[in-house]
Amino acid sequence: MYIYLPIAEQPINAFIVLGIGWLVGIIMGMVGIGGGFLLTPLMIFFGIPSPVAVASVANQLVAPSVSGVLSHWKSGNVDFKMGTILLVGGVIGSSIGVLIFNILNAIGQLDLVIKLSYVIFLAIIGSLMFIESFKLIIQTKRGKATRGKLHQHNWLHGLPLKTRFRKSKLYISIILPLIIGVIVGILAALMGIGGGFIIVPAMIYLLGMPTSLVIGTSLFQIIFVAANTTILQASQNQTVDIVLALILLIGSVIGVQIGSKFSNLMKGEHLRLFLSFIILLVGFKLILDLVTIPLDIFSISVIQ
Amino acid sequence: MRTLIKNILLIIIIALNSFTVFAKDNLVTDLSESTVEISSTFSGADILLFGAYDGQKNDDIIVVVSGQKGNIKVDKKEKKFGIWMITESIKFSNVPKYYYIASNRKIEEITNKSEIKKRKLDFNNFELKNNKIDYKNLDKKWYEALKRNMKKKQFWKIEENSITLNKNTLFRKTLSLPSNVSTGMYNVKILHYRKGNLISQEESKIKIDKTGISANIYNIAQNFSAIYGIIAVIVALFFGWFTNFIFRRI
Repeated sequence: MYIYLPIAEQPINAFIVLGIGWLVGIIMGMVGIGGGFLLTPLMIFFGIPSPVAVASVANQLVAPSVSGVLSHWKSGNVDFKMGTILLVGGVIGSSIGVLIFNILNAIGQLDLVIKLSYVIFLAIIGSLMFIESFKLIIQTKRGKATRGKLHQHNWLHGLPLKTRFRKSKLYISIILPLIIGVIVGILAALMGIGGGFIIVPAMIYLLGMPTSLVIGTSLFQIIFVAANTTILQASQNQTVDIVLALILLIGSVIGVQIGSKFSNLMKGEHLRLFLSFIILLVGFKLILDLVTIPLDIFSISVIQ
Repeated sequence: MRTLIKNILLIIIIALNSFTVFAKDNLVTDLSESTVEISSTFSGADILLFGAYDGQKNDDIIVVVSGQKGNIKVDKKEKKFGIWMITESIKFSNVPKYYYIASNRKIEEITNKSEIKKRKLDFNNFELKNNKIDYKNLDKKWYEALKRNMKKKQFWKIEENSITLNKNTLFRKTLSLPSNVSTGMYNVKILHYRKGNLISQEESKIKIDKTGISANIYNIAQNFSAIYGIIAVIVALFFGWFTNFIFRRI
């Protein structure tokens, strides 16, 4: 069934988009991350103009994030204090991100920057995740899983404005989560992602948060970052396609619920190993697109 | 089926009427629809163009459909640091966003070069402007790139030998508008040639407009964009909460 998208100004097969949203939702529910960075490129492959894809995916991200947070909240897996600091940074960051987005769009390099950012971040996060989860699996198999300190102490713990995060059992400066929030916010606006695949490793490796709290807390801050991005993109660029977002979110919210039920059946490291494969695959495809000679070195676009 | 019957009836009516009409005007045409509404289930439209003409053997019919004019940016990519990136862009203005030509045989065989140029019966005679230099001095490859890409996206299309003429009096042609067609007034020109000379012509208009929910959403997004953004967020928030509510019960 084809549905006409009022903002993208083209029809799209609603069932296929619903299915994509559903599958990505399952991954999101299982691992807690990965909504936007898969949906945005897929929508671009479908011929949706990249500014519309980025903004509409940001819009749809609100729904699975809310639904996810509510489930995690019930199990007591959200650190609201940490989440609030992250989201303050996130809202600032996404406002900066929309500004950069507009500048890049005006000089005509938006597409390239989006793709390059994807390549860089997917490669880094994908390989880190792969190595980490692979090590863990090997260690568990050999049966000598070493449990070190709760977290490593380094220079980051010497920063001022230290606060106690009871839920996360941390006593750290708020500057670091604030900066992480800003960076994730910028990327959210630029790339149409919730920033989960950056914020989750950052929370584990940089902040030293317990893994059980990471997913719920990151989803909590994604709600606000995605909402801020949606409102800014809609009011400044008129690029939010509510019909596209609605089809995607109906698929993904159902997927998330199913995925989160499955997540108990699989070990965390196996899940992350699986996701690292997907991340590296998407990154590889993007590099391939950038370095291979285009079919036509000229391209056209309708402008105002 | 109903539209088919309607079309056949209309053709018959036109054919009957044409005996009297021929006296003053030897070309009569009509469209099965004069407005195309882009609703939420729009996936392109077929419009039947039909007509009657006072023809002789070897007469020709050419149909030209042109959409509104707008700006098209042509980007050129080059390999820099191992990556293909846009290095040069040229903006063409006054470009027909849709241009369709159909005829009963090769246009070159129907009429001469000056007539083709005058009536714009190919894609090489538009009065375009660009932001770089005078159009006449612009490297041909830029215009060729524009033409190639417009054709690839089906915005510009030529179908020679696609009109069937019936007993030198009737012709019909289905105009297929692509799903990504832009809104506005479309001009349909029907040209009747005899031995290379234009002997009569007719013009019709097709209005393409957004209607229903699709049009309302577009208008709200354009005119009340901040409210639109807030609504978009609220809708997403609601659906997120709602699914959680449902799944908690299962």
